[in-house]
Amino acid sequence: MSAVSPAPTHRLFISHLWIIAGFELTRLFSTRRGLLYLITFAVIWYFILFYPISMAAGAVQNSEHNEQGLAFFDMLGLSSLLLWKVPEFAVYWRFALYLFPLLCIFLTADQTSSDREKGTLRFLTLRCSRDSIFFGRFAGLMLIQGILIITSLLSTMALVLWRDLSLFGAALNSVLAISVNLIFILLPFTAMMALLSAAVRSARQATVWAILTWTLLAALLKGVATLLPSLFFLQYLVPGMQLPALAQIPEWQTLQLAYIPLMQTALLLLAGRRVMAWRAL
Amino acid sequence: MSSPIIQCQQLSKQFSGKLALDNISFEIQAGQPVALVGPNGAGKTTLLSILSGYLRASAGTVRLFGHKPGSSALFGRLSALPQDAQLDNNFSISKQLSLYARLQGMTRQQASSEAWRVLELMQLRDAGNEQPAALSHGMGKRVAIAQALIGQPNLVLLDEPTAGLDPTNARNIRQIVTELSVDTTFIISSHNLAELERLCSTVLHLDKGQLQIQTAQPDNQSSGYLTVHMLDSPGIELLSSLQQMPGVLKVKQQHNNEYIIHYDAQRSADFDQQLLACLASKGWNYRQLIKGKTLEEKLFSGA
Repeated sequence: MSAVSPAPTHRLFISHLWIIAGFELTRLFSTRRGLLYLITFAVIWYFILFYPISMAAGAVQNSEHNEQGLAFFDMLGLSSLLLWKVPEFAVYWRFALYLFPLLCIFLTADQTSSDREKGTLRFLTLRCSRDSIFFGRFAGLMLIQGILIITSLLSTMALVLWRDLSLFGAALNSVLAISVNLIFILLPFTAMMALLSAAVRSARQATVWAILTWTLLAALLKGVATLLPSLFFLQYLVPGMQLPALAQIPEWQTLQLAYIPLMQTALLLLAGRRVMAWRAL
Repeated sequence: MSSPIIQCQQLSKQFSGKLALDNISFEIQAGQPVALVGPNGAGKTTLLSILSGYLRASAGTVRLFGHKPGSSALFGRLSALPQDAQLDNNFSISKQLSLYARLQGMTRQQASSEAWRVLELMQLRDAGNEQPAALSHGMGKRVAIAQALIGQPNLVLLDEPTAGLDPTNARNIRQIVTELSVDTTFIISSHNLAELERLCSTVLHLDKGQLQIQTAQPDNQSSGYLTVHMLDSPGIELLSSLQQMPGVLKVKQQHNNEYIIHYDAQRSADFDQQLLACLASKGWNYRQLIKGKTLEEKLFSGA
């Protein structure tokens, strides 16, 4: 087989990124670990769809027509659920806001760590840049999460249409708004795991560090911001800091806060790329 | 003379304050395989890792085909067998080799046939659909060598390619290296000096992070040395006979059956024939006659 003539660097980068992202996609559907994750995901969403979402949607629908119901949701701090046109998606949104980031941490924990420890990255870096591997795996995992989000949203939509076919337009709008939003929400979590995975030796270590970042660091920065309000901006460093605010606004309005995850993603990816470039293989 | 494929200048590497490579400089031209030898901890793997782009040098410059290690210009031109590296246990071997071939610019179809070609080369066609965890250590090593041969690179760095392999497979790898040496330059790190002696014309000797020797082995020019391995050991009688031969300056018994003869090459141009005649006349059987010293003797005798 003759050697292939080299392509310009940027074209090579995009080509390699695409190949690596595509290979990550096959990891979900053709490996035992990927299939196990898929089954877990399906089981979790089965129970969420058929119990909380289905039942709560009924409750939301009933309370929309009586004042007592409205007062009850207001008292629980869930009045924002009533702002959604399709109640199933209002409940879905509440669950997805915290469940997807949590699942994301486990799904994306091993972007490069175990391959570095086993030496597999040494085979790859003979053929493509560390940037291609880093960004390719990040892109592949975002693609996987996009598929999972769309799948769960379409299942919820089927549930809605089973109840009332006339809600098709409103449901489609919610599907689009939520999927775009969830992708934005998951970007910094996936980027955080890319950075941690590049810095530590195993997926387990990356997961522990992620949970510490998400809980202790967030609490610490919140405390610091309370004592020194001028340092409030530090909270913007924690992925998911906008989640409580997002829970209060419906559908496309949620994009008002999209700048926060986008900014976090850019910072985390830059840091991760740096670590990836400098670490010995 | 063509430009060197590897240029290292004042290259150093420190690990936690300890020097693994100490200001080494050398150049390698394309051509015959090059041996990289030295004791454990001498810096061989560190040097190969820097050349492959796995490690950054602490000081000095490295250029391969005029490019820095890790440069995209080297993708597909430089390949390596890294020490102890393993494939991903989640995918079959052929799938991973196909991925590597695709990253080197081949189409899906080309990549698949290239993966099977290199597996065939390593006599591993039956293992192509296995996952790496199902392979023995030796088979895993051969798979790792197979990946290094994808797309016929110009330069291949092999870190202990035959360590842990059975004699048949080690021989197969030596044959492959010899066959591919026409188009590919191999740099082979190994502790098996006899193997390197057969394969390599140039030797890089690293010891304590320093490049001790860089030598081209003599071809047909007389070096004034012959090494003879005897089948049996006639002992003192043989030693005495050799010392009495015309032109002999010194005879050293290296091991029980190995003798290194230093002779005056100007005076006895056909000394090897005289030696064979001498052995035949006494009825002594020899196993091997080597022109010059063995690599082991060259590196460690201090002579």
